[in-house]
Amino acid sequence: MLPKRLLEEVLQKALSTGADFAEVYVERTKENSIFMIDSKVDSIKDRLISGVGIRILKGTRCVTGSTSSMEREALIACAGRVADTLNGVPERMSVHLTERIFGDIHPIKIVPDSASMQFKTDLLKEGYFAAKNYHQDISQVTGTLLDVDHNILIANSDGLLARDRQIRTRMMIEAIASKNGENQTGGCRPGRRMGLEMFEQISPKDIGTEAARQAITILNADYIKAGNMPVAIENGFGGVIFHEACGHSLEASCVSIGQSQFAGKLGQQIANEKVTAIDDGTIPNAWGSFNFDDEGTPAQRKVLIENGILKNYMIDKLNGRRMGMEGNGSCRRQGYQWAPTSRMSNTYIDNGPDKNEDIIKSIEYGLYAKDMGGGSVNPTTGAFNFSVREGYIIRNGEICEAVRGASLIGKGSEVIMDIDMVGQNLATGQGMCGASSGSVPADVGQPLIRVSSITVGGR
Amino acid sequence: MKYIDFKDSVIKHALEKGLTEYELYFTESEDISASAMMHDLQEFTTSNDAGACFRCIFEGKMGYASTELFNEEEAIRIVEAAMENAAVIESEDMVFIHEAGDIYQELEPVKTTEPTGAQLVDLVRAFEEQLYVADGRVIEGSQTMAGYGRTRIALCNSKGLDLSCEYDFTMVGAEAVVKEGEEMFSSYCMKADDFAKFNTKELADKVVADAVASIGKESVASGIYDIVLSKEMAATLLATFSNIFSADAAQRGLSLLAGKEGTEIANELVTIVDDPFCKETFLRMSFDGEGVATYSKHVVEKGKLVTLLHNLATAHKAGVVSTGNGRKASYAGSVSVMPYNFYLAKGGAGTCEDIFKETGKGIYVTSLNGLHAGADAVTGDFSIASEGFRIEDGKKSHAIKNFTISGNFYELLNKIALVGDDLEFLTPRASGCFGAPTIMIKQISVAGK
Repeated sequence: MLPKRLLEEVLQKALSTGADFAEVYVERTKENSIFMIDSKVDSIKDRLISGVGIRILKGTRCVTGSTSSMEREALIACAGRVADTLNGVPERMSVHLTERIFGDIHPIKIVPDSASMQFKTDLLKEGYFAAKNYHQDISQVTGTLLDVDHNILIANSDGLLARDRQIRTRMMIEAIASKNGENQTGGCRPGRRMGLEMFEQISPKDIGTEAARQAITILNADYIKAGNMPVAIENGFGGVIFHEACGHSLEASCVSIGQSQFAGKLGQQIANEKVTAIDDGTIPNAWGSFNFDDEGTPAQRKVLIENGILKNYMIDKLNGRRMGMEGNGSCRRQGYQWAPTSRMSNTYIDNGPDKNEDIIKSIEYGLYAKDMGGGSVNPTTGAFNFSVREGYIIRNGEICEAVRGASLIGKGSEVIMDIDMVGQNLATGQGMCGASSGSVPADVGQPLIRVSSITVGGR
Repeated sequence: MKYIDFKDSVIKHALEKGLTEYELYFTESEDISASAMMHDLQEFTTSNDAGACFRCIFEGKMGYASTELFNEEEAIRIVEAAMENAAVIESEDMVFIHEAGDIYQELEPVKTTEPTGAQLVDLVRAFEEQLYVADGRVIEGSQTMAGYGRTRIALCNSKGLDLSCEYDFTMVGAEAVVKEGEEMFSSYCMKADDFAKFNTKELADKVVADAVASIGKESVASGIYDIVLSKEMAATLLATFSNIFSADAAQRGLSLLAGKEGTEIANELVTIVDDPFCKETFLRMSFDGEGVATYSKHVVEKGKLVTLLHNLATAHKAGVVSTGNGRKASYAGSVSVMPYNFYLAKGGAGTCEDIFKETGKGIYVTSLNGLHAGADAVTGDFSIASEGFRIEDGKKSHAIKNFTISGNFYELLNKIALVGDDLEFLTPRASGCFGAPTIMIKQISVAGK
């Protein structure tokens, strides 16, 4: 994307005032999306993102700059602006880049940008109309087919030069059910680090049907009454509970500055002994996978918590310096305009010892959260909230009527202690995770789990 | 290639393709920001980005394509891609490239102070120290940030429009973390203003006072309470649900305000204004994302819905004229409907203390978390993790945590019982700039212990 000689020149300029590390990140991303509403193709987004991010480190000080220009003068000027914030003498000047080729463990069969518009719109329509025709109370459906072709190049003052091409595909169907002047929504949004062959594994029809089924179920549900109760949280997107309540607190960006509830607790028990949690960026074709992270460290499988004991954090170079630890393939950024930091990839609670039916049977009165919505967490205090997209009351060990309007609130460090049953049907769900380095694709996951008691918000 | 040359090249290719209705929309921004933590500068960022979006009407449909790479190859690609994309569109909505001839409000130039990188660095470092000085319990891990940004937008089209505007502002923010025993408590503030006008000492004292006041782990019993929303949280809730005032959402069945123009949708204390020229914020625009002249309007007046917000397409469908709210979230987006400075107008209930007094007993909510998950703009339902204080004997008392407030925004509009006079705006977001005074809402469901 840029000649090696120019990259070396930019790195040298960036190092010229005493930085001990410099990095250039070059991005060229093609994003396409087709959007349907009112049963028609409504709009198409067709976008080329192109630019360069430059980063220097001096100890634990980090300076970044970015420009959307690819021209030599603009790049040297950007490196100069970055370097101007330090006023030392160069520690190191000579940069010699040696290209490294990482194997690609994410094969792509159908590159989306090369497929015809007709082929793509047909896929989307299959999903769209499966939702629209599901039930007479489905009043509106929106559908999006998104494909991203993200090309990156990373060059740094340690001599690394590496490139990667990350192709992702996602279909999102949202259904709205209406009755008596009231709306309820349902959705299904699977994605993979794959081309359009994704739909050979996941049928668009199933995506649309699932979205509509959920909307209709909730439309016919009553509000849940608030209170404290045991909750069984289903697999797949249910893993958002771990992502939000614990995952963010295990990112070096908050651990390194002591703002995490889990800082300084390596080797200690932080979760129920039934909980083993893993962050794995190496799963072939998974939504949150990559060959190497956004500072050029190969993706890794990291056991974060093993049988309740804290084993590892997600670490990037900068925060690793603050912690005296090495980066472990966890540094991510949305694109050239963002400064990279430690983030999750595919993060999940592993299968446990309990049979799923025993988990439901064990609950006399509680909530079965079949599908979760998004959530957020304050990493300093660990306070979190999640919305329950689709929930049911459990009465005498049986799943009963659907309920709406529930949310789960609590504190990360407490809730992972309270996960006292872990089932055996591990599955993942896809999300876009937003944080200081932008929005990045991340998988969440778990088998069916039981939280012994949690505050359920309702009305 | 410079943008001016790129623009000429795009227009040349559009004409060669025989296009007669097209538009090129361009944004360019320069930003610098700095943050301090652990008594040192932590991060410094400078960026200089630009992008352009071409759209055209081809066989009656609108196609879009955008790029950040200004060269000859891309000038050709975006024209051809926009035409190809138009060919796939099935929507039968009328599409428009706006004619010249509107009268645009002349915006008085605002004199702002552009800080240098070094000035921002000095500011965040001094600001961080002010946090520690404010209270001995403030710990390292507290941080401060400041940023300056300037954005220029230019729009030209085949109907002779050639418009541009520019705005800039400085933002400062801080997160103060205090430790009491083993527990940590934090508070956060963010403010946009002219660089020369910041008083960081005052801001530090306030954010630290807020963090100290939040010490405590008490929750509340579940039940129905009268809720006072701080001005920031009232504005945040308004921002979260602002899309219900979009005619686009209403026409697509995504807002329950469809067809409610002229009817009561809120308590008579509620007046909501959208003002593109508001002097209290920095977002000031005389034309919208389609080149239509903007103007200030009451969206809700004394509880009655006056108008929804329109762009050219939604206005055509509804048989009205555009309200000048055709906006893009970023240069690459398609034109949707968004407000400018959208606020709940001042009422007569005084300051927040006056409102506590009037309320007597209830809950004062100062933080709402996870709004993207806990609030559904389509249904109006919300269930939001909150923090705040008890209101007892007409005064703010203990800090409370871990409770949710829930209800429905459409119903909430009717339950607003007091509106203060302390209107303030949040820092600008992509979807607009939102403001509100302190408000009291009757009978809201709270889930706590």
